[in-house]
Amino acid sequence: MIEAILLFRDALYGALVIALVCSALGVYVVLRRIVFVGASLAQMSTLGIAISFWLAGVGVAGVITTRPVILSLLATLLGVVFFATGMRRARIPADARIGVAYVVAGALAILFIAKAAVGEAHDIFLQGNILGITRGDWLVLLGVSVPVLLVHVLFYKEFLFISFDQETARTLGYRVERWTLLLYLTIGLSIAFAMQFAGLMLVFDFLVLPAVTGLLLARGMGGVFAWAIGAGLAAAVIGFSLSVPFDLPTGPAIVTVSGALVILAWLLRRLRER
Amino acid sequence: MSALVTFDHATLAYGRRVVLSDLTFQIPEGDFLGLVGPNGSGKTTILRAILGTLEPTAGTVTRRPELRFGYVPQRDQVDYNFPLRVLDVVLMGRYDRVGIGRRPKRDDRDRALAALDAVGIRELAMEPLTRLSGGQKQRTLIARALVGEPNMLVLDEPTTGMDLVSTTQILGLVRELHERSGLTVLMVSHALNEIANYVTRIALVQEGSFRIGAVDEIVNERTLSEVYGIPVEVDSFDGHRIVLARRGAAVVKPGERR
Repeated sequence: MIEAILLFRDALYGALVIALVCSALGVYVVLRRIVFVGASLAQMSTLGIAISFWLAGVGVAGVITTRPVILSLLATLLGVVFFATGMRRARIPADARIGVAYVVAGALAILFIAKAAVGEAHDIFLQGNILGITRGDWLVLLGVSVPVLLVHVLFYKEFLFISFDQETARTLGYRVERWTLLLYLTIGLSIAFAMQFAGLMLVFDFLVLPAVTGLLLARGMGGVFAWAIGAGLAAAVIGFSLSVPFDLPTGPAIVTVSGALVILAWLLRRLRER
Repeated sequence: MSALVTFDHATLAYGRRVVLSDLTFQIPEGDFLGLVGPNGSGKTTILRAILGTLEPTAGTVTRRPELRFGYVPQRDQVDYNFPLRVLDVVLMGRYDRVGIGRRPKRDDRDRALAALDAVGIRELAMEPLTRLSGGQKQRTLIARALVGEPNMLVLDEPTTGMDLVSTTQILGLVRELHERSGLTVLMVSHALNEIANYVTRIALVQEGSFRIGAVDEIVNERTLSEVYGIPVEVDSFDGHRIVLARRGAAVVKPGERR
């Protein structure tokens, strides 16, 4: 079993990096109640990948087809700007706009994938291809994740303040819209890179479930981050370790473990409150 | 006393929709002003103009240079799902002084504890915010406003959703803070009866009209009947003003004399 896991160790390292960054940022996603912004950004990232596959299928050569991350990133960043800056002025309720972005991006992604020449594209964009992560891939993931996490360590109190009480932050001179844009940019960047390998379901899982586990177990913000990251990493290791020897799809295995950790955390909380 | 905020023929609008026009008044240093009106009357619009988050479309709103607000938002603007301790929340009032990318220091922590002491809940400093009662949460937000050492304390609907005891305690605390240090206070409320007995001046906003003056100039039967468009009775009981709509009285149009 260990030999089988070691055979895919680069994939495991990749999963751990994705788990680390998405679980940490997921705390804001859950606390700010923007879970579906996360889902929509992931869907827009998927659309970028789908367009890249489609362009490759129709014979377009070049970096935008050999590197799907470019269009994925572009689509995600467009979503970030749309969600971070457009929500306040719109007459349409924010959740409706998120819903429109989610469903339209999803439908377009399916249409592009349906016409893409890459046979396994459909599976890849839904489930990801986490076992295909190479050493170069996880080093790129790490190269993106470390600066993102450093930004979050450095501006922890700013992100916390504008998330907790943006009106008061505004009266103290904080440019709330700019901080929100920066927060969303870090989330979008992480999603766009993670989506290349982890797929929609797993990225959404890491953005939500570990943070929920953290909120169930911790009493303070530091604890929430610690438990969320711990739960994300544990789900990645356990899910990965079960999927390889038992020939299970890795993404759903990790998601299932994440779900089990949420239930465990809920039970522990119930016991503690008695 | 010099004015902290001056409205000079200011028109306040959202896009093309004018909410209030030709507002001219001042908030002098040491004032204890209640901004009163029903929901949707434009109180929040005036508040935003005072705080500087809404610019007038005509006229001017000027704030004294270096004016610092201690803002207490409506309780539902704060997200209580965040697992924060009371002290963490109060420290937020120092964040702009601490600086971007820096962490609060011991001095900030000491000041936060002193602010909690000033509102009477120092012993709750390490408690999770979620476990506090409505009144204790409001005290926490007041402490956060005070810890930034403001020139003006601004409270937006500070007693909404509170029971009689908590309401009385919070309003009493605000008056005490004003009397103790001469702190300028602006209290926004839809409940005239609640704050008329605490503040020294009242600004009344109703359907586009705006009146401001000493409590006696505003809280009297003639003015209130004109502003609200119904016959209003102002009684006194044990030194407290009580404002009542006269039962079964016909509606009087604003500006019409009875």
